Amino acid sequence: MDWKGYTVIYVVLFVFATAQAVVEFAGLVDSAYWVAFGVIMVLSVVKAVGVAAYYQHLRWEPRSVTYLVLGGTVAALALTAAAAYSIV
Amino acid sequence: MSDAHDHGLPPKSSVSRWFLTTNHKDIGVLYLITALFFLVFGGLLALLFRLELITPGADLLGSLGYNQAVSTHGLLMVFWFISPFAFGFANYVVPLQIGADDLAFPRLNALSYWLYLFSGVLMGVSFFQGTTFAGGWTMYAPLNTPAYIPGEGLGATSVVLALIMFTAAVTLGSVNFLTTMYRMRAEGLRMRDIPIFSLSINLTVWMMLFAFAALLAALMILASDHILGTTYFQFANDGSTLATDADNPGASLLWAHLFWFFGHPEVYIVFFPALGVMAECFQTFTGRRLVGRKWFIISMVLVAIQSFVVWMHHMFLTGINLPIKTIFMATTIGISLPFDLMVFSLIYTMAKGRVRFTTPFLFSLGALILFIVGGITGVFLGAIVLDYQFRGTYWVVAHFHYVMVSGATALFGGLYYWYPKITGKMYDETLGKIHFAVYFVGFNLLYFPMFVAWETPRRVFEYSRDLQIWHSMATVGGFILGASMLIMFYNLFVSLWRGEDAGDNPWDYATTAEWAVSSPPPLENFPGVPTYADGSLSFMDDAEVARRTSGSGGSGVAADGGTAADGGTASVTTAATATPASPAHETAGEEHASHASFWPFLVSLGGFVAFLGLSGVRTGSVVYVSMAAVGGLATFGALFGMTREPFHAPEMPIAERWPFDSVEKMKLGMWTFLASDIVLFGAFIGSYAFVRVAYGWSEWHHDLIPAEHVTMPGLINTYLLLTSSFLVVLAMVAAERESKKGTTAALAGTFALGVGFLVNKGLEWQHLFHIHTEMFPNGWNLSTNIASSTFYLTTGLHGAHVTIGLVICAYMTYRAWNGAYQGDDRAIEYFGLYWHFVDIVWLFLFPLFYIL
Repeated sequence: MDWKGYTVIYVVLFVFATAQAVVEFAGLVDSAYWVAFGVIMVLSVVKAVGVAAYYQHLRWEPRSVTYLVLGGTVAALALTAAAAYSIV
Repeated sequence: MSDAHDHGLPPKSSVSRWFLTTNHKDIGVLYLITALFFLVFGGLLALLFRLELITPGADLLGSLGYNQAVSTHGLLMVFWFISPFAFGFANYVVPLQIGADDLAFPRLNALSYWLYLFSGVLMGVSFFQGTTFAGGWTMYAPLNTPAYIPGEGLGATSVVLALIMFTAAVTLGSVNFLTTMYRMRAEGLRMRDIPIFSLSINLTVWMMLFAFAALLAALMILASDHILGTTYFQFANDGSTLATDADNPGASLLWAHLFWFFGHPEVYIVFFPALGVMAECFQTFTGRRLVGRKWFIISMVLVAIQSFVVWMHHMFLTGINLPIKTIFMATTIGISLPFDLMVFSLIYTMAKGRVRFTTPFLFSLGALILFIVGGITGVFLGAIVLDYQFRGTYWVVAHFHYVMVSGATALFGGLYYWYPKITGKMYDETLGKIHFAVYFVGFNLLYFPMFVAWETPRRVFEYSRDLQIWHSMATVGGFILGASMLIMFYNLFVSLWRGEDAGDNPWDYATTAEWAVSSPPPLENFPGVPTYADGSLSFMDDAEVARRTSGSGGSGVAADGGTAADGGTASVTTAATATPASPAHETAGEEHASHASFWPFLVSLGGFVAFLGLSGVRTGSVVYVSMAAVGGLATFGALFGMTREPFHAPEMPIAERWPFDSVEKMKLGMWTFLASDIVLFGAFIGSYAFVRVAYGWSEWHHDLIPAEHVTMPGLINTYLLLTSSFLVVLAMVAAERESKKGTTAALAGTFALGVGFLVNKGLEWQHLFHIHTEMFPNGWNLSTNIASSTFYLTTGLHGAHVTIGLVICAYMTYRAWNGAYQGDDRAIEYFGLYWHFVDIVWLFLFPLFYIL
């Protein structure tokens, strides 16, 4: 990827980060918490995937590297989700 | 062997060699000897408390002495003996079995060993800091926190820090073994064909990579509770009223979740290498390939995956809800099924082969029998209703000793099995068999009565007088078991001088590659580059390697070892990848791999001093604070020295590298490390989510967080990190274009933005520390409440990652200024992988800790 491509990704990441703060500044966190929660977390996931895919070049690596990363992610999510569910 | 051929490494008779060596075989021997020392250490503690238990009551050791002996026995055996003992074999044997001349990162391997050794020394020192840890090897909260530990509790803090050091060693080892096994297999050796012991180690290190990261998170949080005053695992305790968990209802369960998420895979981490040894010995001493080998492997893979979804069966008696208990009961029963298949496979291998009852086989067979008893009695504990009855009794003690010590039994078999390879001498077979007989009797006399006396409460020195006979029998059994080990030590020690020469392969039907070379093997293992391209082991000479790597192809061989791959297949469907840029194998004499470095020892020594200092900094003692500072500086200095040291560990020119063919070893090592770091941060974020759910997700923000904690500092830091990530990729672009100015400017910009991030964070923290509001009249600091603890520790861990990144970035900026990286951006890319990961973590911390 050349510098132009990297710049496009940077602008998108910048805008999405701002959008997360705007969700709060607009009062959505107070008025519709779980909607705001969903929007903000989805934006975070999209940003993270963008950084991993383009800045860390996962898109151009063998898929096995992605599976390696997903392995750690799934383990962490399993711990978080199951532990939290165990006390609700 | 001459010094010239050992590449500057002193001879084995020289003490200095053992401080310098990075060779996998030497490190393997160091692991084996050190682990056996910790076996004796932990074993003597066990004999002490078995003496105590001859009669009810703590009349020998005293109550606190008993608790310390029991707790540290468990910790030493689980962490400092069994796994490191297995990794002694893994270090020695795995590179030989897969056709590598060493591990991928030899200095990292030495660093793992020294961190392990010094972590054990720190564990030992803890006994001299008043009292050591006395709350059981599972270290349940809140008994693991200073408020609940008698005295100053410095020894307990040292134990926590020793475990952190041990975990660091394990993580480095996992990264090293995975990179080695995916980048350095001999040509033609598919993953499914590697010998079963190496395969068991592969699955073990996968489990270690993820499980120990969760343990590291738990230990870092606990160390923070001890040293920094966070309140993750503490109940409110004002000294005058009973403890309450009203302000932190998740405290106790959080530890249980984190610990057992690690703890159950740990059972298989301990047992898998033993299973690998058993399978090797069964094959060799029955002269029969493992029956159902494919299904044996599939079963192991299944267990490795399932091991991460059974942890809550250790928590059936806690307050977790019934639906989740039911799910985990099902997964627990489910994990026993693949084990059944493996057990039947071993039994059928024996039935179909011609058994030779050598000492290694006897120990392997003994281990199988003991494991069957341990496995069946464990299934009882997987059933919720039975667990309600058995939990916290000697049934549990007996069960897990039948499992864990059966693993140790197989590993003793492994010691006899590979002793001739490691030393070049044969042990005394008769003494070996006597050892097994005494060991087996002692083992069962020690542990089986515990099933009968199962109503004895675990970890308690009081028990019903009716059960005394069983405990007396167990104590006698313990001493017999201990005495049997003396036979082994005598046998193996004396055989070093008096043993017959073993030759290359003393075992008929042993087919794995370690038996195709001399005993002990030469420094760089093989007489050429190993290949299985024609179905059996052979070696390519330098001319052949040069021809292949220059792209002309071919498959000629120079010397024939005549050893088949363990998978037993001659068909090769995957193509080995050559590394054209790599030079020929170092037997050419033109380029030698390095084998000596003093820095790993110095880094670990510095770490030991730093951690010992940290254990007492909360007392304000000048001695402890000085040790922490000096040790920290020494560690940093030694790491810098290690970075500057010329050390050459070339990639194999031709190797099997599926499924990471195009991922260079440094890059694969970095990605593997990051996968572990994902679990570390995931466990921190998961801990935050858990305690927040326990407290009440919505009430959390209102009750515990001051209005002064606003979004803007987090948003500014998000911008700073995103921009710094952008600059790292621009540095790569500049390096590719060979623009020295551009590369330097982009890296310097990254550094400046990272510093800006830390300054902004520092200002924010200062502000929050010193707020004066009605709700928080004394500021909002680490100890104020569980929300402040999670905020400062999680973002602090992230800040520590940023700081480490900045140190690397500063060094790289300096090098770029001097003209480095032009036309080769790989180093910047590898740094970038780390830096972008730190960026990604922040992308989740920002919303969770600043918006939601």
